[in-house]
Amino acid sequence: MLEGILIGITTALTLQNLIFVMIGCLVGTFIGMLPGLGPMSAIALMIPIAISFEPSTGIILMAAVYYGAIFGGSTSSILINAPGVASTVATSFDGYPIARSGRAGKALAIAAYSSFSGGVIGAILLLVAAPSLAAVSLSFHSTDYFALMVLGLTAVAAFAGKGQVLKALLMTVFGLMLSTVGTDQTQGVQRFTFGMLDLLDGISFLLLAMATFALSEALLGVLRPKSDEDRRREMDAQRNIGSMALSTSEVKEIVPVIGRSSILGFLIGVLPGAGATIASFLAYGTEQRIAGQKKGAEFGKGSIRGLAAPESANNAAATGSFVPLLTLGIPGSGTTAIMLGAFISYGIQPGPRLYIDQPEIFWSVIISMWIGNIILLVLNLPLIPYIARILAIPGRFLLPLIFFFSLIGVYFVSFNTFDIHMMVIFAVGAVFLRLLGFPMAPMILGYILGGMMEENLRRALLINNDSWAFLWERPLTLGILIAAAAALVVPAVWPWISRMLGRRREDAGEGG
Amino acid sequence: MLTKDRIGGLLLLLFCSAYLYLSYGIRMLPFQKTHAFNAQTMPEALGFLGIGLSLAILVFSGKSEKLDLRGYNWGVGAWMIGLTIFYGFTIRSLGFIPSTTIFLMTGYIVLGERNPLILILASVPLVVAFWLLMTQALDIYVAPWPNPQSWLGFLWGIGSA
Repeated sequence: MLEGILIGITTALTLQNLIFVMIGCLVGTFIGMLPGLGPMSAIALMIPIAISFEPSTGIILMAAVYYGAIFGGSTSSILINAPGVASTVATSFDGYPIARSGRAGKALAIAAYSSFSGGVIGAILLLVAAPSLAAVSLSFHSTDYFALMVLGLTAVAAFAGKGQVLKALLMTVFGLMLSTVGTDQTQGVQRFTFGMLDLLDGISFLLLAMATFALSEALLGVLRPKSDEDRRREMDAQRNIGSMALSTSEVKEIVPVIGRSSILGFLIGVLPGAGATIASFLAYGTEQRIAGQKKGAEFGKGSIRGLAAPESANNAAATGSFVPLLTLGIPGSGTTAIMLGAFISYGIQPGPRLYIDQPEIFWSVIISMWIGNIILLVLNLPLIPYIARILAIPGRFLLPLIFFFSLIGVYFVSFNTFDIHMMVIFAVGAVFLRLLGFPMAPMILGYILGGMMEENLRRALLINNDSWAFLWERPLTLGILIAAAAALVVPAVWPWISRMLGRRREDAGEGG
Repeated sequence: MLTKDRIGGLLLLLFCSAYLYLSYGIRMLPFQKTHAFNAQTMPEALGFLGIGLSLAILVFSGKSEKLDLRGYNWGVGAWMIGLTIFYGFTIRSLGFIPSTTIFLMTGYIVLGERNPLILILASVPLVVAFWLLMTQALDIYVAPWPNPQSWLGFLWGIGSA
């Protein structure tokens, strides 16, 4: 492991890579700060540029954009109560009230320190967890991979939220369907191409990601213009930042919160489908309960604990979501699904072999997480008052630019104008589905895993002489499939179980 | 009641039904059809799964919000979509610099900017700088100006018709 860390340090600490980590953090912060554009859009926008570099540099750049975007999202949550992404919604609960009380600088500093600590603690845990899991997963067969992918897809349902389970599952199936467009890799058969040459290679992952995230977000921005009140609020927020210094008592108060939330966030992040949003809400709720009656009552009104908890948890979860990606080649979230697409564009297949075959990439990604977090703290914190001015750029300039960068990002990879028109179709479809409340992340997860799932299932059948018995004969496969079934069934029956338990407790209370 | 969930479920039900129908049209050679898992297996399974889930949404969606399409700038949205389609048609024939400048300027105008000086300053330098960055720094070449050959070919095509 020590040797691997040294390889990672040597790769990540080259001048070129350091510069790209810096650029990535800045660009990520910049994009993440724009309301609506989150890490997924930020990474998608960077892919065309990143793939023109060598793999380790490109991946490091995208990882840096990822942390930067999460950090940027927190800034817009705090300053204008407009979370860029779902994972920073909990940040706005207390961050915005602190900023409104004239202490925006303090709120931003707490967010920065918490993000930094969450990211660093997450990276330490990743350093330990990833190689161990990679070593174990070397014994995995294609049947187990198929089962793991099913688990990854069904886990989306477990964390989809109340009333969203069926919609998340349907969107996953929709993504799987899109992955079948093009030439079938094994039999060389055309599927859903309608005789069009442009569809022979299938729908490009980059096109789908850009259209459903960046372009549809810009289109929604055009459809829902900001009110004058919102504009005034943004201008005020970026003018009055205030002091960024923290007192000793404040530091003492948030340190244990950060420690607890980081570990919790990392563990949640490792679970497929859970991600930073669940982690931030869970950390917020946990800290509110731990804080006691007096401090707990401050949550939602400007509590520094309520700001530190989700901030450290979402960053640690972002790091944790790299564990299944790097060790199993299975993305745990929409963002890591896009990262997986980028890995595949390089011809790199993340998974247990990555740790052995390309240790410089495996370790440099992990090491770059530390460097990225340090740079975010050292470089971004003093620059925040200036970067925040981006919030003052009028939408009439910003939106056409987002349109342009999304379109050109795809066009510069394929040089095919058909892709631009296909993007419009997907973006319009995504806008309608989003207006109807259908989530996009499960779709991209389904799309990314679809091809791999089909390939692994086909290989498993081939090895097992076309017999489906491997699904129940191999204990590991069966175990993972049972976990997948549980991920589907438990959220559906949980309200019923908790109601039953509650009734039994009431009966016991009456009896006693 | 036609709620958001039900409308979405209905749209996806139509999509999944069309997908399943088309999956039966996947053409394979006779020996490929005999495989336990062929090019049609996954699409067929997904089609049924999608239809099942869409129907479940239609049946179990409960009291979700009603769709309210008022208050959106549909006209401006349609303009931007039209502009994007136009950009797709012109990026190659007009060249990167003119087509992108037109795209950005029109986009700013559609979204409410009217000052000609600002329109030029917010588009031309950015487009030229971006083109230079791509071609000089990142080695990604894209033709900056219209390609006379493609235009001649286009005009020749019209003439001979």
